[in-house]
Amino acid sequence: MIQALFIALSAFGLLMALGTVFARNLVNAALFLVAFFFVIACQFVLLEAEFMAAIQVLIYIGAVTVILMFGIMLTRNIQGDETTTVSKRWRLLGLGAFGTVCTVLVLGINAYQPWTDLAVRPEFPVTKDSTTPRGQAILSMTPTVGREMMTRYVVAFELAGLLLTAALVGAVVLAQHDSTDIVNAKAEKPGTEPAVTGS
Amino acid sequence: MSQQIPLTWFLYFAAASFSIGLMGVLMRRNAIGVLMAIEIMLNAANVNFVAFWRYGPTPASEGPISGVMMALFVVTVAAAEVAVGVGLILLCYRRWRAADVDELDSLSG
Repeated sequence: MIQALFIALSAFGLLMALGTVFARNLVNAALFLVAFFFVIACQFVLLEAEFMAAIQVLIYIGAVTVILMFGIMLTRNIQGDETTTVSKRWRLLGLGAFGTVCTVLVLGINAYQPWTDLAVRPEFPVTKDSTTPRGQAILSMTPTVGREMMTRYVVAFELAGLLLTAALVGAVVLAQHDSTDIVNAKAEKPGTEPAVTGS
Repeated sequence: MSQQIPLTWFLYFAAASFSIGLMGVLMRRNAIGVLMAIEIMLNAANVNFVAFWRYGPTPASEGPISGVMMALFVVTVAAAEVAVGVGLILLCYRRWRAADVDELDSLSG
């Protein structure tokens, strides 16, 4: 039964991904992407990583989609939506790349014996008195993530914080309005040349 | 639940999603559309990480949830990349009045 569920979910997810790629209207493409993100969250639940599913919904659907919607709304082409059509020159290239990469990956997955042998997932007894650390981790993943983040992955955690700070400051500096910058510079220091910011 | 999902089924789904995202990166003319296709590819890689963590033997020195931590950091980097990417696209839109990747072909002016 769970196999039928997985097949239905995966087929729906691939259809949503195709909708994201081929939708003419950009807002429709973003909504297809939301559905795809949700299907990925369902896959994480099937893989018994429910923490990851919650993070997926929170960050991807909650933040990344909103940023993409901002980008779509702020860069609306006034003449029409001709920039969203698929150009004929790249259509064959795109289909060729899709076929090649998908075939190579599927053949490679099929040929590797240690992966095809893993038809049954290893049973970690997920009970309260589970002895294996992985079983305990699956049972209570959120405290485990917090503990791992602070002990084993603390360097990566700090680097990720640094990266997020840099991205935040960079995005704010990039998207600042140029005219107000020049106006403010002129108002504060009359007689000096305003510094060239942005483009 | 006598029958379980084999590992390769998750890998097939991730491979197909990755290929669809790759097709979107090549075929989309709008820059935001390209960003959306990149997100599809990143999510496919995330599914791969968590699937290999759940099914396969992981080294004990990496901790009990190594795959989930990797996927978490991928989510973080992807979110930061989308923010910076949209900022850049807004700048390009201010310059060319269209978010068309075919127009973005010079670094100066």
